Amino acid sequence: MTLDPAGEAPLKTDDPKTPDIPDVPTHTQSAARRPPRSLSAINALLALLVSAAVLYASFIGAGPLPALGPAFNPATGAWTMAADAATVQSQTLTIPGLQQPVRVMFEKDGTAHVVAQTDADLFLAVGYVHARFRLFQMDLERRQGEGLLSQVVGKAALDSDRFELQLGLLRTAQLEWAQADDTTKIALTAYAKGVNDRIDEAKKTHQLDVMFTLLGYQPQPWTPIDTLIVKGDMTQTLNFTDTPLVMELLNKSLGPNLTQQWFPVLPPNPQSPYDPGPYPTQAKPAPITVLSSVTDSEAATALALHNRLANLPPSLVATGGASNNWAVAGAKSVSGGALMAGDPHLHLTLPSIWFQLTEDSPDYHTSGVSIPGTPVVLIGHNQHISWSLTDAQNQQTFFYEEKEDSAHPGQYFWKDAWHNYTSVSYDIPVLGGTTDHLVVKLSTHGPVISERGLTTSVWWAGNIPSQDFSVLMHVGQASNYQEFRDALRDWHSPTHNFVYADDAGNIGLISAGYYPLVAQGQPWLPMPGTGEYDVTGTVPYDDIPQIYDPPSNIVWSANQRQVGPDYPYYIGTASNFFDPGYRANEIQRVLSQPGKLSAADMMALQTDTRDFLASEITPILVQALAGDQLTSSEQQARDLLASWDFRMETNSAAASIWSTFWQSYLSQTFDPTWKAKNVTVDRHELDDALGQYLEASTIAGGRASCPPNAICAPPPPAPPYGALRSAFHAAFSTLSTKLGGDPGSWTWGKLHTRVLENLAQISGLNYGPRPDRGDGNTPLAAGGDPSTHGPSWRMVVDWGTKTFSGIYPGGQSENPASTWYENKVDTWWSGLYAPMLSADEASFAPGVTTWAMQP
Amino acid sequence: MKGWVWLFITLIGLAISLTGLLLGAWWLTFVAGLIIGAVIGQGRVAIPAGAGAGVVSWGFGLAVLQVYYGLGASARSLAAIMGFTGQPAIPLILTCVVGLLLGLTGAWLASALRGLLVPATH
Repeated sequence: MTLDPAGEAPLKTDDPKTPDIPDVPTHTQSAARRPPRSLSAINALLALLVSAAVLYASFIGAGPLPALGPAFNPATGAWTMAADAATVQSQTLTIPGLQQPVRVMFEKDGTAHVVAQTDADLFLAVGYVHARFRLFQMDLERRQGEGLLSQVVGKAALDSDRFELQLGLLRTAQLEWAQADDTTKIALTAYAKGVNDRIDEAKKTHQLDVMFTLLGYQPQPWTPIDTLIVKGDMTQTLNFTDTPLVMELLNKSLGPNLTQQWFPVLPPNPQSPYDPGPYPTQAKPAPITVLSSVTDSEAATALALHNRLANLPPSLVATGGASNNWAVAGAKSVSGGALMAGDPHLHLTLPSIWFQLTEDSPDYHTSGVSIPGTPVVLIGHNQHISWSLTDAQNQQTFFYEEKEDSAHPGQYFWKDAWHNYTSVSYDIPVLGGTTDHLVVKLSTHGPVISERGLTTSVWWAGNIPSQDFSVLMHVGQASNYQEFRDALRDWHSPTHNFVYADDAGNIGLISAGYYPLVAQGQPWLPMPGTGEYDVTGTVPYDDIPQIYDPPSNIVWSANQRQVGPDYPYYIGTASNFFDPGYRANEIQRVLSQPGKLSAADMMALQTDTRDFLASEITPILVQALAGDQLTSSEQQARDLLASWDFRMETNSAAASIWSTFWQSYLSQTFDPTWKAKNVTVDRHELDDALGQYLEASTIAGGRASCPPNAICAPPPPAPPYGALRSAFHAAFSTLSTKLGGDPGSWTWGKLHTRVLENLAQISGLNYGPRPDRGDGNTPLAAGGDPSTHGPSWRMVVDWGTKTFSGIYPGGQSENPASTWYENKVDTWWSGLYAPMLSADEASFAPGVTTWAMQP
Repeated sequence: MKGWVWLFITLIGLAISLTGLLLGAWWLTFVAGLIIGAVIGQGRVAIPAGAGAGVVSWGFGLAVLQVYYGLGASARSLAAIMGFTGQPAIPLILTCVVGLLLGLTGAWLASALRGLLVPATH
């Protein structure tokens, strides 16, 4: 192939092979050297084809590649992330919509301080700041809840979009907005204005986040509904559960008795509820019947729906909670003031779910962490009180099997009459595909989410409009427990354990939210939708779990069941709805020790790696092994356990032996039954629940450990000592194979790692995996391997010294090239904290930069 | 055509390409190639000139970013996003290649079409 068929280069007259034709005009000479027209045509055709291919790749992209032209344009494409990543400089910004000038200061680590002269300006400025650093994250979150992910990532997200629109986050957000009070409307409108100011600015200056560029779209204007959707995402992540479906599948395969024994309503193991009673005696809770058989069609329906939910992205279905908070009254603290600690455990992502800031305006003086997309501090403190949250875990999801028949198409039977389903239609745009049309049917219980087998609808507390922002703004303004408690009265979902401490030395804990009451039946299973089993209301606010200034001078929550067995209302079963209680037990154990506590003790407890379950079981195991035939290496492993302090530290070999042993123990105890009865639920999903039974029966020493509320016909599956020994030998074999023959070298760090995952699932932008301490039972939560879930924010408050400390694993910026992308991770990983400065303090901090925002 | 004319045309193309990049009209690099190819005509000159104008303009954009902000972290991040973790040179090279190809194909296409329009000898 020649690239020069039309070449006009001068002839080389000294070329001996070129005839000398002096009389021929020059242009004729050129024409004589020009290739035939056919070759020129071929060349032109090739040029056209190659040009078309290059232009196609540049304008449209190819395969996984984005449109190369706009994506890699150094001036306006992905490379602008370099400018965006540059250190924030002090400057003056003109922000449309402001009423008065606003000052925004940034500490060296990116922590923001927004100081405004009106409340509306405060929220507008917060919207601008959030969008400046987290716009893509915010856009992803609203798209998830609004069912619009497919529009930018294609068909792969269609199942998620369809489910979200069925479940109804968008409908609920629209209702919440319609019902919002004026304060909320002003705040959310101002916030949206601030976000949109930044969107407009970023579009004009080509500073949109790199992911917008690479995905080839630009963000739409932000609306208050979007903020409510982001709140809905969080609610869904924390309390939309599939547990009734799991229970139905277990009931079908294991039978009612074994299911009741292994998965009881009340926990079979020793727990430490924070609200020990006395409980209301006037309550008239509904009669909750015992488990009954499940039909084939019910089981098939549950399996189909369970599988559908299992294939959704993990954040759409809650899979158990893990967060800690506690408080110590002034009477028990070294400083004389109340202490408070909070560390919500969530999926650890980069960027983090949190954005740290202080908010100051005439009516608000809050400091803590906010969720980008929302205008308020969710966890933090003001001048008088501090608060933090853990998930309350009560059952908030109920499934109903609607009664239908062919004589009444489009109808369901409810309360002795046939009713029409209502319906809502949605169009889901799909990148690279045709728009998907979705019709959502709604019964009186909620949206129909499955029509495979029996038609199943879902009643979900997250679909009850909940004015959470109004509540949080009132919480932020509260100055004592009464105002705090009054503010939480309107909080519906997700139900949270709100811990409280104030500058007068008081402490409290209240599990605010909606506690659905059903008329009758078995709410832990899907129920008939004919009306007799409906949700009829909620536990009265005065009756929900709560405590204020208890004589013990401590309060604590870690997703455990908050109340004891005498609590009169059904609030959920032990399996999955509530945590097994080991973290709560350990926290209670440490806080209850004699003597006074300091902020340093709070920090130490937040990073405590003592496994409470191990502390219960290991001594029994060591005792069981005392009468066993052991090799010298096995003896060495036994000795490591015998001298262990039950801490899951990276350099602990005993921690590895314990963890592997416990998995073997669970496996050897339950797997034979799983296999024999063809249980369709993955056993590992249920290890927390099964572990509680195994723990209780092991502690009972081989006797049938029957909790008072359960029916315990069969004895435990195996005599504990034999089972303990067998599991130990299996664990020893596993570890020998994996880590070699020297038990002393089996350190926990070789088995257990943690990773902070990039939010857009780009593994190259993850932090880790790195060996890390802790496990799923330790206050320093680190379940799974690699662990992707854990303390997403740690805060410690000492009202006696007025010191506030906090840290989260991440950074303020979502730009991976920014120094603020992961700059807080190492501090967090080391168990250290950063001071939470007020705006006044920050203004004198070294390296602070300031944005002067002008209207 | 004199060499200085070729150089001048190439520089004009370079300026057009740079202006396009600044305005977000990255496709002007292709247009610059078209102009270079159409004016110079000879493929053996026009095509390298177009490719050069493309690669230099896109590379110059990167150089400016490097001087003002540094490109290391961005290159590492982009490489990771593209699935080439630890190979930050790849997005840098890809960027230059896009500029090169746009300029090259523009010049090639124009010079080839011009060749078709000039009568051939049989």
